Amino acid sequence: MNPIVKVENLWKKFRIPHEKRTTLLENLVGMLQILSGKKFTYEEFWALKSVSFTLNPGESLGIIGENGSGKSTLLKIIANILRPDKGSVNVNGRIAPILELGVGFHPDLTVKENILIYGSIMGLKNNEIKKRMDSILQFSGLERFKDAKLKNLSSGMQMRLGFSVAIETNPDIFLIDEALAVGDIEFQHKCIDKFKQFKAEGKTIILVSHALNLIKEFCEKALFLSKGEVISFGEAEAVINEYVKRIQSI
Amino acid sequence: MMSILTIVFSILLRIGIEKFPIFLLTALLVWRFFSIATSMALWSIIGNSPLVTKVYFPRWLLVLSSNLANLIGSSLEFLAFLPLLLFLGMKITFLALFLPLTLIIEFILIAGISLPLAALNVYYRDVSQIWDLALQAGFFLCPIVYDAKLIPEKYFFFYSLNPITRVIQITRKILYYNMLPTLSDFLIPLISGLFLLLIGYLIFCKLESRFAEEL
Repeated sequence: MNPIVKVENLWKKFRIPHEKRTTLLENLVGMLQILSGKKFTYEEFWALKSVSFTLNPGESLGIIGENGSGKSTLLKIIANILRPDKGSVNVNGRIAPILELGVGFHPDLTVKENILIYGSIMGLKNNEIKKRMDSILQFSGLERFKDAKLKNLSSGMQMRLGFSVAIETNPDIFLIDEALAVGDIEFQHKCIDKFKQFKAEGKTIILVSHALNLIKEFCEKALFLSKGEVISFGEAEAVINEYVKRIQSI
Repeated sequence: MMSILTIVFSILLRIGIEKFPIFLLTALLVWRFFSIATSMALWSIIGNSPLVTKVYFPRWLLVLSSNLANLIGSSLEFLAFLPLLLFLGMKITFLALFLPLTLIIEFILIAGISLPLAALNVYYRDVSQIWDLALQAGFFLCPIVYDAKLIPEKYFFFYSLNPITRVIQITRKILYYNMLPTLSDFLIPLISGLFLLLIGYLIFCKLESRFAEEL
């Protein structure tokens, strides 16, 4: 069976600059300084070190770890937003990244127009979105406001809308970065039901979260990252227990 | 702008070009397209940083969509210019049908320059100031307020290397001189435009990989 996501020996480097250098002029001056023997002015920081894992179709993954351990970086690399320095990511299927809701929303356009924009950013064709327009509006519970300008909606309603569009894009793989804590309790239940339905359809969810019970509920596998290194990868229950034990021992 | 330039160059300086407003405007519209489109595209990546850092799609689309918006704007400007031509006592011949072609050639040139500029602006934020200066110099390097014939013979070769100059010359032939442009009038800027586009695209691809980190 072909794995749906295969990440092999992934390394990602960031630069920590020690000198402000944003303009061309500053860079030219900096280059002259380097030529005259001054040291490089940034430090390397490995956000991910040799990360590997494989997910089979139908499996979901929860990524856990303390702040700054590389969870979001890993998600962004899988979503192809950041490029790895070493290693490879193979994804078989269409990805819907929900790293932030409402990316590309325009406050002066109506709700319907924003659905079209956000949908096409998420990789849907225009007529596909139009077909799903009604169910998106229904799921978000914003049917009454479909011709209102987005800026007149409350921020919670905007998030609901973003989430509804993202959910309706019907991808093979969901990448979610702490985005589930959206809206009121009723809407959260709706989302969780929807995700259960996705899982039942054999789709993959990759979830970055500090809500361990959520991961236990949705994910068969879990990945525990610390300072960019994989501490453990395997059955969710076992990995979470190890994570909790490690936190308590500190 | 047009009236200021007309007063300065035809009344005060007495360049003595017949129907100076039209002579000027044909070139000025071409130049406006170039300068506005490139300086807007310069910000197309930075201005859309939420998109670039949160979702993946081919980044060059941002630059191209900014250029396309300006192509539409400029086409409308030219469209509005045609009645003005009649009003100022010029004839519009079938030659005006070549206008879309020149606009497309200029569009290719603009895209070829916008791609590396927008990418560089992500890394070095003073590129836009440098480009502003370059545009100001460019305004006088192109035959906008003067006739290209004023350029001495021995420098003319270097002068005409500027593809925008070529585009201005074609537009003038079409709308001002009412002359049929030759095939090479179109081919030279087109080929150099495609060449620029290729180089620009390659530079863009090279720089694209760290966009999300730099924004």
